[in-house]
Amino acid sequence: MSGTRAAAARRRKLVVKAVESAILLLALFLILFPIVWMALTAFKRPVDLFDLTVTFTPTLDNFRTIFAAPWNIGAAVWNSTVVAGLTVLISIPCSTLAAYAFSRFEMRFKGALFFTILATQFIPAVVVVLPFYLLFRDLGLLDTHLALVIVNLAIVTPFAVWMLKGFLDAVPTESEEAALVDGATRLRVILDIVVPMVWPGVLVTAVFCFILTWNEFLFALILTRDDAVTLPVGITRFRTERGDLWELIAAAGILISIPMFLLSSVIQRHFVRGMTGGAVK
Amino acid sequence: MAEVSLRNVTKAWGSFTAVRDQSLEIRDGEFMVLLGPSGCGKTTTMRMIAGLEEPTAGDILIGGQRVNDLPPRDRDIAMVFQSYGLYPHMTVEDNIGYPLKLRGIKGAERAAQVRAAAAKVELEALLHRRPKELSGGQRQRVALARAIVRRPTVFLMDEPLSNLDAKLRVSTRAEIKHLQHELGVTTVYVTHDQIEAMTLAHRVAVMQGGEIRQLDTPEVIYDRPADLFVAGFIGSPPMNLVQGQHADGRFTAAGGFHAVTGVARHSGPAVLGVRPEDVTVAPAGQGDLDASIYAVELTGDAVLVTVQAGDSRIIAKADRAWRAEIGSSVALRLDASRLHLFDAASTKRLQPE
Ligand SMILES: Nc1ncnc2c1ncn2[C@@H]1O[C@H](COP(=O)(O)OP(=O)(O)OP(=O)(O)O)[C@@H](O)[C@H]1O
Ligand SMILES: [Mg+2]
Repeated sequence: MSGTRAAAARRRKLVVKAVESAILLLALFLILFPIVWMALTAFKRPVDLFDLTVTFTPTLDNFRTIFAAPWNIGAAVWNSTVVAGLTVLISIPCSTLAAYAFSRFEMRFKGALFFTILATQFIPAVVVVLPFYLLFRDLGLLDTHLALVIVNLAIVTPFAVWMLKGFLDAVPTESEEAALVDGATRLRVILDIVVPMVWPGVLVTAVFCFILTWNEFLFALILTRDDAVTLPVGITRFRTERGDLWELIAAAGILISIPMFLLSSVIQRHFVRGMTGGAVK
Repeated sequence: MAEVSLRNVTKAWGSFTAVRDQSLEIRDGEFMVLLGPSGCGKTTTMRMIAGLEEPTAGDILIGGQRVNDLPPRDRDIAMVFQSYGLYPHMTVEDNIGYPLKLRGIKGAERAAQVRAAAAKVELEALLHRRPKELSGGQRQRVALARAIVRRPTVFLMDEPLSNLDAKLRVSTRAEIKHLQHELGVTTVYVTHDQIEAMTLAHRVAVMQGGEIRQLDTPEVIYDRPADLFVAGFIGSPPMNLVQGQHADGRFTAAGGFHAVTGVARHSGPAVLGVRPEDVTVAPAGQGDLDASIYAVELTGDAVLVTVQAGDSRIIAKADRAWRAEIGSSVALRLDASRLHLFDAASTKRLQPE
């Protein structure tokens, strides 16, 4: 009697496991398939393009083509790198200081202020893209790195403040107080004590900000024409009058994805792991 | 020149008052111990002196200067935190050396001073470890070394020995006392361990519920506790306290317990206190009070004898060779010069004339 019940329970568990695995496999397939398809396409010759066989002679021709004239995708890679790099370099120090203030200091209207910062995230980009366009046109900043950095800072910084505050809230304050008593100024405390302790959090936030900026499309499309075109916008150039050049789009897609793959492995290593062990009882 | 003064200092969070209208004058070079049960406001008091907590009301002075508005770094203090506050990403050496680094002391000189401080708390072998690779006691010693590595005008120590084992605690206690004597640095030391308070302090402030109940030398606090709380808190095993009536210099309690107190001008409900070491257990008929043995416990250095006298149970401290059968009849002698009488209503001490 109890034997059959145990067997039934075991069978039920097995079924649940099987369903779980099937769902996971399906999700994995849905996510990975386009990426694999893109990767394959990037290494195909145009003649093999619509061939569904997996066996073909791989070629680097597509990459050579996009880096050469008239495509010059190298310029877009450079623009994207400069814009994303500068945005992160400016945003992270500022956000760290802001998040520290929100996490540690008592101030009037703190809740309202913090909410306001977050609320800017909920404004749809299409609503502000035109005012931004007019603004930068009047300032003569259209098609410059500076314009894109400013816009991306506005997008990324509230998010970074919010994320860093979460990391900072989790760090015990005793070490900071010890440093204050030991003779450190508040800024020294942040540099010497706080940042090393939340370093993984800072790193993860920086990676998220980099990826957000790297992938930003709408503002880059509207605010640039030739000189400051970024990769996501650059890709659209492969839709020509002669049709969509799929093999070139795929090759550029690979370029865009490279930092994502590298940085996501950084996140994996540092997420959740803290540096606070041993500070307090 | 570094007296520390608290003048009518209050600290409240919302409607909760952690420290209430507290005044305290700590003399230059004095070793002041704040003693009290958990949650009585010891750490809060110390954090206000350090500048980590702003008093809700009142003034704090260091060396005669009002420091309420000075940040911690300008108060020239060193502090041992109750939960250490170590720098987790730095080695023990860098932890101890951080106050020196901030003062621009470099290279060999810093290393030498760090090593000297580490040697004082037996940490030399661990200088290259990080806090998370240390035991609780070792972490506490790092915190201690970081405080003594330089010479501040005031030391603040918040239960710096609480996590050391018994042996290390005794030796570090002596080390702290010696060091403080040698450096002559004004020290505020928080503990809830009365032995630490008794052995270390020039003066002890006994606190309860955010207020100082008695502020005096360890001798006076032990010999003339100001109220029932201090009487019961100081001493191990604690003072025997017997509820009863007092009139005409004579204390009586239910069941025939009585004693002559020498306090003439008090009558009414009272509490008589007598320390275990001031009670002598004598053979039946040879003492002031008849009693019977309730329990006999050997603690190692003494025997604690619990006796039933009238309706009261009294603990006496006897020689460690002393033995008796449970239930046997004995007599008690109370050292008349060391009886303590407290008014039951006000809980205040009544001093014999
Ligand atoms: N930031 C705070 N907000 C509200 N209440 C607090 C705060 N800090 C301390 N308290 C309260 O103040 C009271 C005194 O705390 P304090 O830390 O000074 O006690 P303590 O005497 O050091 O006790 P212990 O021996 O347990 O360390 C406690 O009841 C505590 O809950
Ligand atoms: Mg405390």
